[in-house]
Amino acid sequence: MNVEFAGPGSGTAPLTWGQRAIWETIERTAPDDHYFNFGRIVRVPSGVSVEEAADALARLIERHGSLRTLLDDGAQRLHEKGRLPLLVHEGADPEAVMAGLEATRFDYEHEWPLRVALITEGDAVTHLVLVFCHLAADGLGAEVAVRDLRVLLLGRAPRTPAPQPLDLARWQSGPDGRRAAAKAAGHWAAEHARMPSTMFPVRVAEPAGPPIWRALLHSPALNLAVRAVAAGHAVSTSTVLLSAVAKLAGRATTAVLPIVANRFRRDTIGLVSTLSQEGLFTVDVDRPFEELLRSAAPAALQAYRSAYHDPADRAAVVAAESERRGEPVHPNCCFNDMRFTDPGPEPCTGAELDRALEESTLTWPMSQDKLNCRFCVHVGPEGVSLTADTRYLPKPAMERYLLDLESMLVEAARP
Amino acid sequence: MIKQRLAELVAEASDNAVTAQEALDSAVPLSALGLTSIGQMRLVDAIEAEFGVEVELTDDGLAMLDDLDRLAAFVAVP
Repeated sequence: MNVEFAGPGSGTAPLTWGQRAIWETIERTAPDDHYFNFGRIVRVPSGVSVEEAADALARLIERHGSLRTLLDDGAQRLHEKGRLPLLVHEGADPEAVMAGLEATRFDYEHEWPLRVALITEGDAVTHLVLVFCHLAADGLGAEVAVRDLRVLLLGRAPRTPAPQPLDLARWQSGPDGRRAAAKAAGHWAAEHARMPSTMFPVRVAEPAGPPIWRALLHSPALNLAVRAVAAGHAVSTSTVLLSAVAKLAGRATTAVLPIVANRFRRDTIGLVSTLSQEGLFTVDVDRPFEELLRSAAPAALQAYRSAYHDPADRAAVVAAESERRGEPVHPNCCFNDMRFTDPGPEPCTGAELDRALEESTLTWPMSQDKLNCRFCVHVGPEGVSLTADTRYLPKPAMERYLLDLESMLVEAARP
Repeated sequence: MIKQRLAELVAEASDNAVTAQEALDSAVPLSALGLTSIGQMRLVDAIEAEFGVEVELTDDGLAMLDDLDRLAAFVAVP
């Protein structure tokens, strides 16, 4: 069966900055680019028929242009009408169906950027499985789509009109967008002039097994400490984490690429598209942590703002600086705060920290052969993880890094 | 009036973590009320779009983002 959708609107525009950033990454990863596909499972309220579910999907695709947009000769083309295949699986496991839909790369020029399946039990639809092409949405963009889909499944229409990627693409290539891009490019250029060529330059080991490992520190004490430091220094928890990660990265001037959602403007907050990009956070860390925090707040905001940039400008800055130094310039060091909600500042006592410290655990949940970075810190609900290339940072040093991060934050948090 | 409008933008930028009334009444910095760094970024973009000014992300610029009176004076200057 198919989902038939019909407009409104059609047209072409250049890729947005966010789309170009992910497209360059996809091209570097091909043919393994199915890695970037990601899915969502939506539980369907009882009493929804297959036809009603298909209708809700059609309304969703009509509402968000990115879901009926294809790559066309390096640009994006919004199509007014189309037909999306809808798979129906009686009594299947939604997770397994999702994994199946994620497993193959998208045909970016010819295949709609959304794959959908219905899970049914008799006449009733129990789940909708959506798999997104990363050119059409990032995690927060998919959240917007899922939220709208839930409303549509109830037979209602979302209240406000949706912002459209084509409008954003036109804004970005117009005078206001170019002005914002020029400002961001200025930040990239200024920081490139003073940052180290790379953060982990020396290959120190030749591991026998897969070189990429992930260490995960589950630490309630670190969580408490981050909130307390944020409260004590009037900065956000994210800035505390970013500053602490930078402080311990091992060079006097540290450059970290924070992944930024880029959903600050009214025309981007509710947009189904890929907006997240890297910003550049550069800071001199050779001083006490408390002092570092004071200068980190403006530096972090500048880094967040620089994330909303034209990848072509950034590429030009990197190429010019690499040429000047006669070696490639790239931090190879990134930071991704993946928490959906910020717990906010909150003081705590020394006794609470001591008790919490007893619950810390460190595990090694993942290893793999390839990664286009050397040092990636992720903050998520399960803890703080470090994924690193052990040729540059061996496993004992990874473990020490995470434990030092915990103790530095806990010490800074003590009243 | 400008201060009222700025307070509304603070509420919007913070997803109502700080209400317009709280922003107007407060004697403490907006960040202490719960305006996060993400909220500050949204506020900067909203102010720049609405008033045609450019907010510098320096120590002083950040201090201004904490203070509705200073922001009102800043956007009122032609």
